[in-house]
Amino acid sequence: MAAIKGIVGAENVLEAYEDRYCYTYDASAVTAGREGTPALVVYPGSAAEVSALLVLANAHKIPVIPRGAGSNVSGGSIPRAGAMVMVLTRMNRIVIIDRRNMIAEAEAGVITADFQAEVEKLGLFYPPDPASKAFSTLGGNVAECAGGPRGAKYGVTRDYVLGLEAVLPTGEIVKTGARTMKCVAGYDLTRLITGSEGTLAVVTKVIVKLLPLPEAKKTLLAVFADMDRAAETVSQVFMAGVVPTTLELLDNIYIRNIEEYVHIGLPVDAEAVLLIEVDGDPAVLDKQAGIIARICREQGATEVKVARDAKEADELWVARRAAFAAMSRVRPTVIGEDCTVPRDRIPEMVRAIRAIAAKYDIIIAVLGHAGDGNLHATILTDERDREEMARVEQAAAEIFTATLAMDGTLTGEHGIGLVKKKYLPLEMGEGGMMAMRAIKRALDPNNILNPDLI
Amino acid sequence: MQWSELEREVIRCIRCGACQSVCPVFREMRAESTVARGKISLIRAVIRGEVDAAGPAFAERMSWCLMCRACQESCPSGVNLGELMLAARRKLAEDNGLPLLKRLIFRLGLRNRRLFELGMGLGAIFQGLLLRPAPGGGGMLPRLPMGLDRRRLVSPVVARPFRARVPARVDAAGARGTVALFTGCMINYVYPRIGEAVVAVLTRNGFNVVIPAGQHCCGTPVYVNGDVPTAVELARATVDAFADLDADAVITACGSCGAALRKEYGPLLANEPGYAEKVARLAAKTRDFAEFLAAAGLTSAMKGLAATVTYHDSCHLARSQGVRGQPRELIAAVPGLTFTELKAPARCCGAAGSFSLSHYGLSRKINDHKVDDIAAGGADIVATGCPMCLMHIRDGMNQRGVGGEVLHTAELLARAYGEEGI
Ligand SMILES: Cc1cc2nc3c(=O)[nH]c(=O)nc-3n(C[C@H](O)[C@H](O)[C@H](O)COP(=O)(O)OP(=O)(O)OC[C@H]3O[C@@H](n4cnc5c(N)ncnc54)[C@H](O)[C@@H]3O)c2cc1C
Repeated sequence: MAAIKGIVGAENVLEAYEDRYCYTYDASAVTAGREGTPALVVYPGSAAEVSALLVLANAHKIPVIPRGAGSNVSGGSIPRAGAMVMVLTRMNRIVIIDRRNMIAEAEAGVITADFQAEVEKLGLFYPPDPASKAFSTLGGNVAECAGGPRGAKYGVTRDYVLGLEAVLPTGEIVKTGARTMKCVAGYDLTRLITGSEGTLAVVTKVIVKLLPLPEAKKTLLAVFADMDRAAETVSQVFMAGVVPTTLELLDNIYIRNIEEYVHIGLPVDAEAVLLIEVDGDPAVLDKQAGIIARICREQGATEVKVARDAKEADELWVARRAAFAAMSRVRPTVIGEDCTVPRDRIPEMVRAIRAIAAKYDIIIAVLGHAGDGNLHATILTDERDREEMARVEQAAAEIFTATLAMDGTLTGEHGIGLVKKKYLPLEMGEGGMMAMRAIKRALDPNNILNPDLI
Repeated sequence: MQWSELEREVIRCIRCGACQSVCPVFREMRAESTVARGKISLIRAVIRGEVDAAGPAFAERMSWCLMCRACQESCPSGVNLGELMLAARRKLAEDNGLPLLKRLIFRLGLRNRRLFELGMGLGAIFQGLLLRPAPGGGGMLPRLPMGLDRRRLVSPVVARPFRARVPARVDAAGARGTVALFTGCMINYVYPRIGEAVVAVLTRNGFNVVIPAGQHCCGTPVYVNGDVPTAVELARATVDAFADLDADAVITACGSCGAALRKEYGPLLANEPGYAEKVARLAAKTRDFAEFLAAAGLTSAMKGLAATVTYHDSCHLARSQGVRGQPRELIAAVPGLTFTELKAPARCCGAAGSFSLSHYGLSRKINDHKVDDIAAGGADIVATGCPMCLMHIRDGMNQRGVGGEVLHTAELLARAYGEEGI
């Protein structure tokens, strides 16, 4: 303990049980509880401090759990007894925003939305926008390879990360990638670490590429009386040659509960809505919006509304970001699944989810970043009801099997974490699991970094 | 009350962590236990028997809340953290008792209006608030060297409180209505000029003002510290003094007092026989000064004020009472005045009543952001609708050497009317 305080300073270590207890959970339904309360929580201030802490932890075989804002929903930052939780939020400097090269470099603890606001001041754009962006950290985004509504057009965190500064479990500080648009020197460690859920290295700095800030955007809301039609519309839009920034599908349960929270006049009787945004040159936006509106109507939309101004559009997006948490108004426990299928199989997947909900007699709401095939089947339940939780477990397993049968993946953006760990072999196969274990062993011989995840 | 009674509310927190983006305390302290999600987890842990509520660590964490309700406003699950904090503090006060000093002030002083007024008259209470019980209960220690931090700008308690200075009724020429003024402690004992400005501006605009003699503290300072029995007594006294008055409105000029009369008395007096209806009547009649005046409309022309003015939203005025646009409207109506917005006008200034005394260092750090925003904005005058915010922001600007005045909205308007001495 004295050595740790020597590294980061006593004021950056939490020892009180009550403080440590508050790191036994993240935004998932998993908690470690009293038995899993970590031994201490540290807030390092630099890569050198992270390195010194890891060297020490490695020597004493202390498990280390990296953590940003603890907003992940996969149980990715749940500690165990005796562990050191390493919170990166003190490292919150934006190192540089380089307009000439359109890149930026920032420390891992920078809050995503703060970073976006800074680059946007310079007319630049960092697209990955998880709904948690107001509190999630860039490091956490990299570790989970976070996506967001804009993914339909702009992709996910991985697509913007050019390089990293990261600390290996054994203490070496490594720099991966470069401040260049291309770089093929050596193995692509940047991509290996991105999405590794804090099991291979502690990310301390991120170099990302930026785009010019789109000049304008337009938001549409298409209302459907039939879920199937709404789901079918998704791939029709893309097939018409329009790539929307965002294409979100919300079912009736979502619509009603969001409306209860934000009161902006969402159509509470609709079976489904599509929330669609296009961005770019204002000269072509009207044309694109027109095409989308036409397709929605052809597919049976009862109404297509175009947001009149930025304020109205903003209201819709604030509403959308509140969606997940607003669901706790229905039942206290909200489990957001994250299955992703090829875009054209969305209707099929939505039907499967609804059939599974009926079979196990539970409530599953559907919301999706439908533009990229990512469906959040949202199970609304009560963790105190053991009998129901057992049915929930079975239903989830069945959703996973259905997803894989449709050439999909168990998780599009939330990560495997503790929550889906046992299902990972279904997707990876024996060979895949073996390769992952070999990599983990090579980089983390004592298995100290987030050891329970793999 | 049992901790388990809070389970229904705490379980609604799905731990999404959104509160991290708005909590002023968390922003300074960074520890998860200081943000709503953490505090709620601790209450949950108490219910589960995993944390000991009797220990000092738990109580301390429950004290790390400004009651600014920013988290509540942005909580997608609609968790009412304010009520949870009040309930937790109430339970802690029931089980562990209040600290000796708070007990002395709340029970002896506040419950007895005459004694309280005497104490305030002697300036004893505020100095008293700056003392803390010595560890081990050996007596009192000054919280700060010299009793007061030498750098701290504390407005002294005035020799003659506001209610002793004004008549019980001030009539307006050609009145269009009559309002009753609830003065609150800060205005009565510390800033009588705000009270005078409120009376001056209202009478100029055609409202008779009555100032009922039987009024006392609204109860907020004791309520937020968990002393429910005293708060109930104070609430009853206010309701008795105001509910049945023949007035068009009851005016408050303090964010916290207004929030108490409108929002807190309902739950607080729920078990008091015969009070439900009176409480509802008082709540329906109560209006913040700026809210009332903006709705009534200015009928008297102002001379004007050549100054750049910005506005700070008091948490209890903006979030608890929903008064945001009205003061801005009134300020913008002053001829010759330029209005500018602060970067984050509704971010808590860190005062939070007795929080600024018990957690002075932390409350200063929170205030620093406000002062930074004020300095960056470069306004000559910061207006606000709450005397507690006013005191704390003045203190911060003074300590940081940032120029400019801090005035209550009513004082600003009175000045624009050319009122003497304001
Ligand atoms: C309301 C809500 C909405 C959400 N919406 C989205 C969404 O739209 N899209 C999406 O993809 N996700 C979403 N999420 C999930 C979550 O916000 C993301 O996974 C986010 O990237 C997590 O960031 P964090 O800073 O909170 O990381 P944490 O939750 O603290 O950590 C996440 C994982 O990364 C590891 N980690 C954290 N920091 C580092 C680091 N510096 N180095 C190495 N490992 C690290 C941790 O060990 C853990 O395994 C949402 C969550 C909530 C609560």
